[in-house]
Amino acid sequence: MLVRDIMHSPVVTATEADSLAAAYEAMRTHGIRHLPVVTEGKLVGVVTDRDLRLMTSALHPHPFPKEANLRDVMTQHVVTTTPLEPVEEAARLMHEQKIGCLPVLEGERLTGIITGPDLLHALILLTGVHGPSGRIEVKLPEAPGAIVRLMDTVSSEGVDILSVLSYADPGRSQAVILRVNTLSTHALADRLRETGFEVTWPRRKQWSL
Amino acid sequence: MVPVVYHSGYQEYHFGPKHPFSPLRLQMVLELIEALGHTPHLVSPPPASREDVLSVHSERYVDQVEAASRGRGLPDAARFGLGTPDVPVFENMDAAARCLAGGTLKAAELIADGEATCVLQLGGGLHHAQRELASGFCVYNDLSIAIRALTRRGFRVAYIDIDVHHGDGVQWLHYDEGDVMTISLHESGQYLFPGTGYLHELGEGAGKGFKLNVPLEPGTTDAGYLDAFERVVPHALSWFQPDVLVVPCGADAHYRDPLADLLLTTDAYERLFRRLRELAHEYAQGRILYTLAGGYDFDATARIWTLLFLTLNALPVPEEAPASWRKTWEERLSVSLSPTMRDAPACFVVADPEAIEQQNRFTSVRLMETCVKYWY
Repeated sequence: MLVRDIMHSPVVTATEADSLAAAYEAMRTHGIRHLPVVTEGKLVGVVTDRDLRLMTSALHPHPFPKEANLRDVMTQHVVTTTPLEPVEEAARLMHEQKIGCLPVLEGERLTGIITGPDLLHALILLTGVHGPSGRIEVKLPEAPGAIVRLMDTVSSEGVDILSVLSYADPGRSQAVILRVNTLSTHALADRLRETGFEVTWPRRKQWSL
Repeated sequence: MVPVVYHSGYQEYHFGPKHPFSPLRLQMVLELIEALGHTPHLVSPPPASREDVLSVHSERYVDQVEAASRGRGLPDAARFGLGTPDVPVFENMDAAARCLAGGTLKAAELIADGEATCVLQLGGGLHHAQRELASGFCVYNDLSIAIRALTRRGFRVAYIDIDVHHGDGVQWLHYDEGDVMTISLHESGQYLFPGTGYLHELGEGAGKGFKLNVPLEPGTTDAGYLDAFERVVPHALSWFQPDVLVVPCGADAHYRDPLADLLLTTDAYERLFRRLRELAHEYAQGRILYTLAGGYDFDATARIWTLLFLTLNALPVPEEAPASWRKTWEERLSVSLSPTMRDAPACFVVADPEAIEQQNRFTSVRLMETCVKYWY
């Protein structure tokens, strides 16, 4: 999944000479929190709703008037990304830089923007929780090829895998969570157990009469 | 006698011998009722028309189903959920699905026309089918087709889904409608298909606050389930003031069900069936439409749905299941069937029953706290 798959395009932008009041209006109208500032097609800064609120706050020692220009409050030297960047790289960049948006540049041209909620959307798509699905959790030994054998076994049952998540428990085992396109996850789990996999969800119900 | 809507064509909704959604379950119930010496008042419904189906499904979806049932599946059928492990395509699938939908629709019409207040549709309950998606054994959403017919005639419909899976199809099809309340009690989507049915799914637009979900923990037993039901359902009905209740009676929350993780017994089911009838009298002038739904353990499912028939007709429940019926079906299915109509007392092995109870109570309390904000 690449940045271009989740970015917003076209982008609502402002110019350096726009007033704070105009930026406020643009954010309100479009329901957005980030405005890239553009001069002659080139990105020169970003203004956020937080910039507007802090710079005009009554608590600010020298609050800006609403007629002030964006060039006075905007962040320059903007961190940007490109359409072909993988979303996880974009996420890491935003997390490391503690920023809420990444303008997307194609060469010098501003073609899109991604913000925090877009990454949450990406997470939803990546984990496959957006469509009807069943969940299977398997503990794999840390051995080469274990995950391949798991996929083979699932697909030989005619079941589609909608998503695969995995995380390693260092030095021990790897937990793999599959979202599958079937309601019959218990039957699939039994089949996997028969084939030697340690299935941690769904469990087997236990009762006695 | 409560009218029982049934058509032999229901037997044609059949995904193959290994598929859990087996029409044999209906045959078992009918034969068990008969073996107990009862003759149900059967009403034979006409199939739902293409137009009826189009009241909730899209035209391009119905085209896909029709093509698939002629054995000429369109190339993107899988995008519509057709030809998957849960909904494999079979010949005449469209007709079979319309036959089931016709039954639920007929039951709704009997109620809307005032010919009956309580009707049992001995089939249907295909609550996973969405506007243009076959899912979880469901092709056409008979429940929504019936609900649509009822709302078009001015009825306010309260839909109460006790199948162990979230009633996602019905919820999404009526998500923004203010004259349909949906309440689904199910095993949490964290653990079970279809992975939805969380507290925050409350509806949108005119439907906001009208869609209620009670996601329950795996391992939930009779007491916890009935407690959650009582904390939510009566209050919701008293506020919503429905004209009719529509209730798919999935038997898959039973402890023997092979597809899910709740631990209900026949005792909880009997109480639920009776309680729903009471609630219909209290809040909906007695009008209630019961359908079947999921339920994949032959033994438990046949007994639970027969208990439904007996309860609705206020007939006594005999101690023992008829020996002849048992013998026939034990041979036919190569399984052993319970000798009694009700469950024998069972012991469950559950890791942390107190945590389950606590989480379930928290869930129903949170749900009520949240939805009253939209109600008052």
